[in-house]
Amino acid sequence: MDRSNSFNHSSENPSLNQRNSDVGYSTNDRRLAYSRSFQQSHGPRTPAAAAAMVFSSGEAAKPFLDRTVSSIDMPPEIYFGDGNEELFGEGKEKRGEVSVLRLVLEIFRVLRSGSRQMKRLSLLISLNVAYSTVELAIGLFTGRVGLVSDAFHLTFGCGLLTFSLFAMATSRKKPDHAYSYGYKRLEVLSAFTNALFLLFMSFSLAVEALHAFIQDESEHKHYLIVSAVTNLLVNLIGVWFFRNYARVNLVYRKAEDMNYHSVCLHVLADSIRSAGLILASWFLSIGVENAEVLCLGLVSVTVFMLVMPLFKATGGVLLQMAPPNIPSSALNKCLRQITSREEVTEVLQARFWELVPGYTVGSLTLQVKSGTDDRPLLQFVYDLYHDLGVQDLTVQTDFS
Amino acid sequence: MEEHSPRQGHIIEVNIENPGGERTYRGGKICGEAPCGFSDNGSASKDAKERTASMRKLCIAVVLCLIFMSLEVVGGIKANSLAILTDAAHLLSDVAAFAISLFSLWAAGWEATPRQTYGFFRIEILGALVSIQLIWLLTGILVYEAIVRLVNEKEPVDGFLMFLVAAFGLAVNIVMAVLLGHDHGHGHDHHNHDHGYGHGHGHGMMVTTHHHHHHSHEEHGKEGEHNHHGHGDHTEPLLDNSKPGPQEKEHKKRNINVQGAYLHVLGDSIQSVGVMIGGAIIWRFPEWRIVDLICTLAFSVIVLGTTINMIRNILEVLMESTPREIDATKLERGMLEMEEVVAIHELHIWAITVGKVLLACHVKIRPEADADMVLDKVIDYIRTEYNISHVTIQIER
Repeated sequence: MDRSNSFNHSSENPSLNQRNSDVGYSTNDRRLAYSRSFQQSHGPRTPAAAAAMVFSSGEAAKPFLDRTVSSIDMPPEIYFGDGNEELFGEGKEKRGEVSVLRLVLEIFRVLRSGSRQMKRLSLLISLNVAYSTVELAIGLFTGRVGLVSDAFHLTFGCGLLTFSLFAMATSRKKPDHAYSYGYKRLEVLSAFTNALFLLFMSFSLAVEALHAFIQDESEHKHYLIVSAVTNLLVNLIGVWFFRNYARVNLVYRKAEDMNYHSVCLHVLADSIRSAGLILASWFLSIGVENAEVLCLGLVSVTVFMLVMPLFKATGGVLLQMAPPNIPSSALNKCLRQITSREEVTEVLQARFWELVPGYTVGSLTLQVKSGTDDRPLLQFVYDLYHDLGVQDLTVQTDFS
Repeated sequence: MEEHSPRQGHIIEVNIENPGGERTYRGGKICGEAPCGFSDNGSASKDAKERTASMRKLCIAVVLCLIFMSLEVVGGIKANSLAILTDAAHLLSDVAAFAISLFSLWAAGWEATPRQTYGFFRIEILGALVSIQLIWLLTGILVYEAIVRLVNEKEPVDGFLMFLVAAFGLAVNIVMAVLLGHDHGHGHDHHNHDHGYGHGHGHGMMVTTHHHHHHSHEEHGKEGEHNHHGHGDHTEPLLDNSKPGPQEKEHKKRNINVQGAYLHVLGDSIQSVGVMIGGAIIWRFPEWRIVDLICTLAFSVIVLGTTINMIRNILEVLMESTPREIDATKLERGMLEMEEVVAIHELHIWAITVGKVLLACHVKIRPEADADMVLDKVIDYIRTEYNISHVTIQIER
């Protein structure tokens, strides 16, 4: 019963709102209670109000701190599709069917309206896919194992880059029912996956070097050179596209920074690997011994060192670590300032974490003397942490 | 400034002073200072018990795996068979997956630091993610090897050997699966039952102190005592009621890392079955070499299918989404039904790891209402209805 009530309510709401957002709701008490939160909530943060807020523009009371809103608006059907999925079983099949068509439409929309980086990334992915398919086909028909293994490696890489692209596209969505913080974390997740894959790659290169060392095969596969050169060229194009991010240690200011950085490191690592293979075969043709071992080992170490800072940074964000750009001394100073106020007895539980780089969330519990007015105190605390860069703060005041 | 509890009443309360002098108020509403990590109402030791049990299981699994692997390596070198050595390498990957799970389990128990204010529980999730990626990677490698075997037409494929090696691998994996899947769940029940009654004992951190709160209003005298007793009567049944509920869920839910290792082993057994079928067919009909590839592909898809559920859980936790078992709209509506509450904003419910949920929101109340009382009410409601104990509510007027 509850379910059907809310379902009707949500589906009726857009039509109500479309007509006139100021029209009073009917006298049904429950809906009135619900609508109070719509009128007074300030933005699409309240999960239940997400649907309503798409249409009505902020008429509500302004909270202490306003969160920046993503400026790209997505059509509202997506919210109902995602948001209602959890609540209503009947919605599930509909959503499943629609999503295949929606996927295709989404791809076209991405290609047309994506940001510049997204377009470049999709170009890169399509180049890679084309190249790896050709390589796989040639490898299978001519029976050359090296080409097949290279094609597999590329395919894995393509899959990852596609996930990064998907993350870029999805992270523009507004927060909804199930994802109250929005979808920006997906970018951090894709950066982490990229970094993980690169670590796996460096590990496997080390294993290959060891293998070459043990087996000591001097017979090198020369047909791989052509593929290595082509691979190098394609990846260098990729590095050029993302040249702003071609550094090892980067300061991350926004969520996309991590994603772009990871893509850049991915193509960079691939190009280093191809360059290493080319170098190894050149050395072999000159006659240097153990060239393959040396080059592969060198490439493996280089990729590892390249990726480690990104891996640590993304791991830190995913682990709910305190934001690295706010030093502990600053946090401690704030705590001391709060405790030094006379109405505050104690600060319990001050916790901060980064949703994405640049957006810090905090929760604080204060113990104050009973009878004090907490409003100036709240304002003080908010101002204090706002200066530090904490955008979303929840402060619980317990009166003793 | 430590207060002693001169009166016992019906609640068995033990106030054990901490050197830091921290107090907990409101019936465990707040769990103490930041370094307490994330333990609430003594779930710390329940966690630790569960963790050591899981760690023991994984340790045994690792040791078994190492033994089998060395057996296979010795056998492979003696028989000079690449297939056996490849299977030994596969077992090595099993060991790697178990090692990752073991590490995650151990690390999750570390105490919180000022940089990691929520403790290290997330490491479990990241470790599970890494081990699922390993499964995918290994599946990819297996498919690649099957293709290579097909392409390399020089070597004849020995169906019988494939069958034998796969059978051995399957046996090993089944032993491991039984080991990891067996739930020593009974210990949980008893342990938790103890908590229902003597819930202040032995932890040094958790004390119900509604008692204290009313003490300070000594002038209320009888009324205070009445409330206190009333509350005392409430607390115990409340705890007993809420505990068996999530406890049953605990029974079915394995620790996510043990589950990851279990999935890994399951995936391996599925692959072994596939290889056995392929080997048997090739042994019978040596020309049908493509069966090998088809089997590998089909069973790889099955293995990937088993990981989907866990990946979805992991992704949801990492994306800070509202956990599936909690209905945010219902919670919000329930809170709005309270008379003093006018509106709710910025409601965020997220999980730090599967099973540990936090909530933060802003509650707007009527200007004349008593903020304290509303806070208590809301927190109690959330705790009893949804069993979320880490709650931060900002009351606004």
